[in-house]
Amino acid sequence: MFPIAHFLYLGAFLFSAGLVIVIVKKNMIMVLLGIELMLNASNLNLVTFNQLYPDSIQGQMFALFVIIVAVSEAAVGLAIVIKVYHYYQTSVPDEINELKD
Amino acid sequence: MADLKDKLELIGMSLSFFVPELVLIVGIILLIGIGLRKKQYPPLLTFLSLLLFSFSFLCYVFTWRIYVTPQKIFNGFLRSDDFSAFLKMLFDVAGILTVLMTWRKQKEQRYLPEYYALLFAIVLGAHLLVMSMNLIMVFISLELISISAYVLTGFSFSKKGAEGSMKYFLFGSVASAVMLYGFSMLYGLTGTLDFSSAEFIDHLLGKNSTLFFIAALMALAGFLYKIAAAPLHLWAPDVYEAAPMPIVAFFSVVPKLAGIGVLTKFILAINIFGQSAFDWQFIISLVSILSLTVGNFSALLQKNPKRLMAYSSIAQSGFLLAGVAAFLPQGVHFMLFYATVYMFVNFLVFVYLQYFESYGFSSLESFSGAGRTHVWPSILILIGFVSLTGLPPTAGFTAKFFVFSSLWEAYHLSGKNILLWLLIFGLLNTVVSLFYYLRIPYYTFIKEAESGTKTNFLAFENLLGFVLVLLVFVLFFYPGLLMGWINKINFVL
Repeated sequence: MFPIAHFLYLGAFLFSAGLVIVIVKKNMIMVLLGIELMLNASNLNLVTFNQLYPDSIQGQMFALFVIIVAVSEAAVGLAIVIKVYHYYQTSVPDEINELKD
Repeated sequence: MADLKDKLELIGMSLSFFVPELVLIVGIILLIGIGLRKKQYPPLLTFLSLLLFSFSFLCYVFTWRIYVTPQKIFNGFLRSDDFSAFLKMLFDVAGILTVLMTWRKQKEQRYLPEYYALLFAIVLGAHLLVMSMNLIMVFISLELISISAYVLTGFSFSKKGAEGSMKYFLFGSVASAVMLYGFSMLYGLTGTLDFSSAEFIDHLLGKNSTLFFIAALMALAGFLYKIAAAPLHLWAPDVYEAAPMPIVAFFSVVPKLAGIGVLTKFILAINIFGQSAFDWQFIISLVSILSLTVGNFSALLQKNPKRLMAYSSIAQSGFLLAGVAAFLPQGVHFMLFYATVYMFVNFLVFVYLQYFESYGFSSLESFSGAGRTHVWPSILILIGFVSLTGLPPTAGFTAKFFVFSSLWEAYHLSGKNILLWLLIFGLLNTVVSLFYYLRIPYYTFIKEAESGTKTNFLAFENLLGFVLVLLVFVLFFYPGLLMGWINKINFVL
């Protein structure tokens, strides 16, 4: 069996990669992908940490709930992208600036 | 079979503490069902929502005594106690007031059944959030609030609405992803998701690794985002400007108080009764100082009343956090008092901002001379702003005074300089807030404009406004009415 540290490194890498994508990428669809990566990094962490505490499955249960919430969040996110595209003909957040001081 | 019977009994026992939430769930299902029909009757929908919110509220009033003793329900996922019951009552009242504010716009509001269903979903999420004792439950109820709020922001169905909802979504989902990573780390450190359990506390005791600090900070970021505290407040002005007025009033109260409620419990858990290696009191005080300063000074520059109220709500979360930062039972009591007053006053101001908006007053300059044509609304909104500033003879003064007195006492007990700084910043910021809160009344009463026709005194808004103003005065002259009740609340982790 692998030592669990490897999985934690992978989780940390996924989280950082997701955050970098959110900050660097211009298109909102790519930002959504970054958010999914961040959520999945936490899932990986939760499942891995559950190996340390094998007498309960709390971590795995949490991961299941996170998957469901992530799906509904992505659905709402895509709906918002469609709505924004309908009004602005673009899905690049930088070009959308009606609201300002 | 005996096992099954035990489980059923447990669920039955838990459900007896869960009646108001069941009412809200029934409300969501009913409203979505009505939404499927071709022809809808807006007054019927409004009345139904009003009825269900009132029923949920009256449940707490009439069966208050069953909520007094803390009781773990649903296998310790939730806990029913009087602290959460009080906050849940506030959410229901906020729901009632939001429905009443929508009354005027019910004909124009598109997709009215879905609008009300989402309101119910947010109130349900807030109910669950303040009761939750488990990180799974915290995450799910926080997302229930957030996802419904992203959709509800876009309910003005305009260019601005879509943009506001997009910004709220992007900031919000990143914040919740960060919070979730923090939760996973806390799970790894403690091996349990129940943050009030002895196991959680024991594992964190004496832990001074940077990992614990970062994990707890990431988890806190999610809550601070929800209450729009200073470093994480950037979404608030845009969202407030984009959303319809009743929703803005609702957002400035319900998600904020729910976030504060869960933060109060969570901060006690990670502080480990003062045994933590890290000074969480310092961090909360720092965030509070930042929110006060950033909120008040940015509000000075605003021209749009909705954006002004957004920055005002950021500053007000600073005051709510100051109540929490005292880390004393009185601090929590005064925070609850502050929250109640803040809710009533905020709705008072928003009811009239909506009223003025419907007459075409959309920027601060346009309020010039409104005091002549709209006499009563101008007077009542003035009382609202005076109370938000915290001047006597309004309840805002009493609330601020209580929060400051608990800070002073905490400073005497612990001798931490940061609490004194928080007190000084709070007092200075009250003075700063005077300048922007009184700008709308300045335009309405001092500035001259062409005279228009006088409006009807017996408007629906005036009735609602009078009730709220009456509450604001009553709570100033007899704060004991509410404080006597709040003081009986026993806040335990």
